[in-house]
Amino acid sequence: MNQAETLASLLLQGDSAKVWENIQKQPQLSRLEVYQNLITPAMQHIGHLWETNQITVADEHLATATCDFVLSKLAYRQEKRQSNQKAMFLCLDGEQHYIGLKMVNSLFEEHGWETKYFGPSLPLEYALKTAKDWKPSVIGLSVSIVYHLPKLKEYAEAFAKLTHKPAVLLGGRLAGKYDLLPYCSDHTVILKDLPETKEWLQNNEAGGQQNAIF
Amino acid sequence: MQYFDQPLPLAFLKADRNGKIVSYSGIARESFDLSEGHLKGIIDEESIEKLIQYSWEPGLDPVKLELNMKTRETPLSLFEVHIQWDSEDYANMLFLPKDSSNENLMDKLMQLQQRLSSTDFELLEKKEELEQVLIRLNQLSGPFIPLSETLCMIPLFGDITADKINVISESCLKAVFAGEYEEILFDLTAVGEIEGKGIEKFTQLLKTLNFMTGSIIKLIGIKPNLAKVLNTYKLDEWVQIDQSLKQVLNVYFNRNELGAT
Repeated sequence: MNQAETLASLLLQGDSAKVWENIQKQPQLSRLEVYQNLITPAMQHIGHLWETNQITVADEHLATATCDFVLSKLAYRQEKRQSNQKAMFLCLDGEQHYIGLKMVNSLFEEHGWETKYFGPSLPLEYALKTAKDWKPSVIGLSVSIVYHLPKLKEYAEAFAKLTHKPAVLLGGRLAGKYDLLPYCSDHTVILKDLPETKEWLQNNEAGGQQNAIF
Repeated sequence: MQYFDQPLPLAFLKADRNGKIVSYSGIARESFDLSEGHLKGIIDEESIEKLIQYSWEPGLDPVKLELNMKTRETPLSLFEVHIQWDSEDYANMLFLPKDSSNENLMDKLMQLQQRLSSTDFELLEKKEELEQVLIRLNQLSGPFIPLSETLCMIPLFGDITADKINVISESCLKAVFAGEYEEILFDLTAVGEIEGKGIEKFTQLLKTLNFMTGSIIKLIGIKPNLAKVLNTYKLDEWVQIDQSLKQVLNVYFNRNELGAT
């Protein structure tokens, strides 16, 4: 078994302690590398196991919950820089695939951002209310299921109309797989994976506010 | 496409090797839109590959697999599909809805997760509140009190930490520069513990005051436990030490009386 398969099997057992142990075996990895090189391939492998009829959706839910717990533990007490910027993160209404979003949220926190993380399935009206009241400079969206795409357009357009002009970032399984531009507004930035997200964060830091909406 | 006239409790479909539906049960017709007459019309695009790969080899054993289906009600719904090939090379398929059986469990799981994250959030908010309170507390822990035109006092309250001295320094320097004080008293009566970084900052403040104003700086109200700690920091270069406010005031008034006479 390769690394991803091993980690996937531990996640599927729901054994968070063993997952933690497995990740701790490579203490030299940065958090981004843990997300990108360990957790992402393991979760992708779990998707593959369903596609090849080896596990059920119920198994996937267990693995997701276990992964969620481990991510919370990883994000706990991370070193934070100061940036005084605000970002909110959500999955489209009905979208339950939130692990990637959670990792992105954690990356932003690591860069000193103040974040609100809503996780799976947030109806547009709630998202808009928070966006208007709290005025984050970034709104991060995640989409993984094709039939949620029509909703994406609705969300992207609603956010584009916000008067404080937040940058809208879009990620999720589909962002790496298809061209999602037709479902976005002009101001949506598509980030196809975590390294791209990190790069965006670094550019944002380097360029300050004016780059926030490129 | 033929109606399969048997009262089956689950959706049933019979399809040929190309996926063309040849027969359907009542529940299948109710659940799925069969107008295309083809399995592709009712199975989610991303599940079709799975169906072909894992059940389209004819065999004697029934095959079981989970597929996402398009139903009349929702565009994506999970089903457990049982498939048995018959001797005429038709796939007999039974569709067991899975979402409903998972739903309860999923809801519970989501609730638990949401509770965890909302607790997390509440904790975070409390933490932020607490940080604000601490800053406020620090601001109030070193009030500036002018006693006369030439004498002022800054009593310190609580533990001496770097954060607290930082907060106090700003207001203290501002207030001292605004007047012309000959003596500045720091009253340490209400001080609890002293942190190493705190005393470093405090020494810096004393030096700054000393350089900038040339005033006499006095520490008063030093308790025995503080004396031990302060002794290691060689403060006497910058400050004088007096026992209490009472003593300082006595000296001050006596001197002024003498001056007056």
